[in-house]
Amino acid sequence: MAKVTVSFEWLSGCSGCELSIVDLHERLLAVLEQIDIVRLPILMDVKDYPKAKLGIITGALRTHHDVECAKKMRASCDAILAYGTCGVYGGPQGSGYAHAQSELAETAFVNNPTTSTHFVPDQGVPKLLAEGVLALDAAISVDLYLPGCPPHAYYVFEALRSVLDGKPPQFGEHNVCYHCDRHMKHTEVAALRRVHQGSLEKDACFLSQGILCMGSATLDRCRGACPTRGMPCSGCAGPSEAIVLEPNRDIRTEVATRMSMMTKIPKATITSEIEKQAKTYYAYAMASPVFREKPTFLLRRWISQQGAAR
Amino acid sequence: MSRTLTIDPVTRIEGHAKVHIDIGDDGKVASATLHVLEFRGFERFVQGMQAELMPTLTTRICGTCPHAHHLVSAKALDIMFSAPPPPAALLLRQLLNCGSMIHSHAIHFFALAGPDIFLGEKSPVGKRNLMGLLEAAPDLAKKALRLRSIGQTMVEIVGGRGTHPVTAVAGGMSCGLTKESHATLNALAAEALELAKVVLDAGKKALAKDPEMLGRLPLKVNDMGTLKGNALDLYDGRLRVRKPDGSVAVDFAAADYADHLVEEALPYSYGKQVLLKDTSGATQPYRVGPLARLNCAEVTGTKLADAALAEWKATCGDPSPLVVAGHWARLVEILHCAEKAVSMLDDETILSADVRTPPGAIQRHAVAHVEAPRGVLIHDYHVDDKAIIESANFVVATQHNISSINTTIKDAASRLLGGSDSDLLDGVEFAIRCYDPCLSCSTHRVGQMPLEVSLWQGGQHIRSARR
Repeated sequence: MAKVTVSFEWLSGCSGCELSIVDLHERLLAVLEQIDIVRLPILMDVKDYPKAKLGIITGALRTHHDVECAKKMRASCDAILAYGTCGVYGGPQGSGYAHAQSELAETAFVNNPTTSTHFVPDQGVPKLLAEGVLALDAAISVDLYLPGCPPHAYYVFEALRSVLDGKPPQFGEHNVCYHCDRHMKHTEVAALRRVHQGSLEKDACFLSQGILCMGSATLDRCRGACPTRGMPCSGCAGPSEAIVLEPNRDIRTEVATRMSMMTKIPKATITSEIEKQAKTYYAYAMASPVFREKPTFLLRRWISQQGAAR
Repeated sequence: MSRTLTIDPVTRIEGHAKVHIDIGDDGKVASATLHVLEFRGFERFVQGMQAELMPTLTTRICGTCPHAHHLVSAKALDIMFSAPPPPAALLLRQLLNCGSMIHSHAIHFFALAGPDIFLGEKSPVGKRNLMGLLEAAPDLAKKALRLRSIGQTMVEIVGGRGTHPVTAVAGGMSCGLTKESHATLNALAAEALELAKVVLDAGKKALAKDPEMLGRLPLKVNDMGTLKGNALDLYDGRLRVRKPDGSVAVDFAAADYADHLVEEALPYSYGKQVLLKDTSGATQPYRVGPLARLNCAEVTGTKLADAALAEWKATCGDPSPLVVAGHWARLVEILHCAEKAVSMLDDETILSADVRTPPGAIQRHAVAHVEAPRGVLIHDYHVDDKAIIESANFVVATQHNISSINTTIKDAASRLLGGSDSDLLDGVEFAIRCYDPCLSCSTHRVGQMPLEVSLWQGGQHIRSARR
């Protein structure tokens, strides 16, 4: 069987997605036997964009240069896979959505407590997009999405296998709760609390303890890494399928509905808290057009209502 | 924000890293600068987030050593929530650090520096890469790759995931070890220790037999590293700066970093450089990372690595000015981390279920540091009375080295100017690589580092050499 040609491109991200491919460990060899890598920026010196069956793009769009590269990938590849939360939803740097680009640069360069200089570098450095950070499909059409920060090896392997075999991937669109074995239960908890406020019950659902966990509103691409290890989910793989597909649903309505059913905390109190702490609870997917086009979603207003410093 | 210091030679600038070399009227290299071209803005957009999100969010600054951001922000939260971690949690965090250090150092030494060191710089370009190393020395290369895999698997077990771990929290760890995971870790650490001995021996012999390469890029500059007493400590301790003459310039707690370090923006780069300032306000460059750490430490605290450190100092000098000796230092640290992992897993304390101290009063300001694979990493947070971030300041390992990297590039370019472009590019690439800067692509190559070197004189662009 002829090998499948694969071309990689790396835009604004952290390199964690690239390492997640290496972290297939011994299964990496099985994948490499089936593919012919024609372009891989971190490993090979290929300047142009050779034709390929599959183009894998990691990272979000941050600069005009990123947009150019994405377009060249689209033109040279039969199918494009957006790999990782940055490419799919903008990723953590998408939180820059809440700020003007000049604010970000001023904090780092102009008004930084340990920096003696007071100018923003501007000689030969790439210009940032005025919109801040964009998800990949803001500039090009995307055929396949694999969110996750980074995606767990199970999903990476299955996604690559499905493309190589030309069959649909054998993983469901579950949310993070699917892998969590904490017990959901009715409680008398009447107020929200943060993870540092009071003791934690080891085996009970975080929501029933009054602690916000995004697991029920987040697509599982991690195999439940956080809730199975004592951590509430922070939503790093982006929203669940229900939220992506239905315009009237949102992270806060999904979580508030479940939590208010398990506790004595009113639904409105929960939605209001998530709005107040929007930067925390939308940290990984703020830049996504999936949210911007939702009638329920007023991120910039919620954040600005918390004061200019936030 | 260039805090990640991700220079992406390939995607950021026509697929090239950029090095700018200025030639003076006398025809000699006047200055050389490495340009950092990535900016994300973490310090600003974390303002307004809940502080407890920091250990998982800040890992996303860098996927190459996310554990370092994870641990340093958890250490800051310990202070912020007045919750010193219990002994088992401290062991688990250090084990996480050891695993990640092994992974990061192993991938650097073999995928990146290894081809030059084992195959020689004059070997054909098409073969001078990891694939060539796998062909020429398959047994050694496979051992090194296995070592990397073990390090990352240790992080997966202790940290919950390999890239972007999740378990370090305010006051300790979110979960402890099970008997099964402890047994798996024990076996992995024992295997890592045997592999570490083999790769150190091979690396050391290859470097020692080529004194020209080892001594090629000397740089007498201050070194900064973390010590407990006089011993190397990769997780906690005081920061010490040692001068090139061997005397101690200053010794301080990370909380006082702003009194001793100052950042400066550079007009051509999103990467700020950091300098050491004295009481008069005068500044000096310094370096961090494996070479600097071994220069500062008298001992490592583990038996085999102590012997390896003594041999390293006897061969390379004390303090060693040899930039290339940093590659050897990296292997000594792998051995130390493997030994330390074995001994920590032998300590029954690590199996304790008590891994998390309940939070107490909120402190409005918290500073912490840790030794990342590439050197000192500092996180500094101010929060309001509800532990919402008001401001954050991050000083990342590669930033400390920017000034020394530029000096070493200048040194390499001066020696090679007038020769062929290919030699110039090779020499500049070799020089940059000694610092293992967190330019993610340069640390994980199979082929050559795609690079552009532009030569300037009197403000005029003369020509560019690139590949």
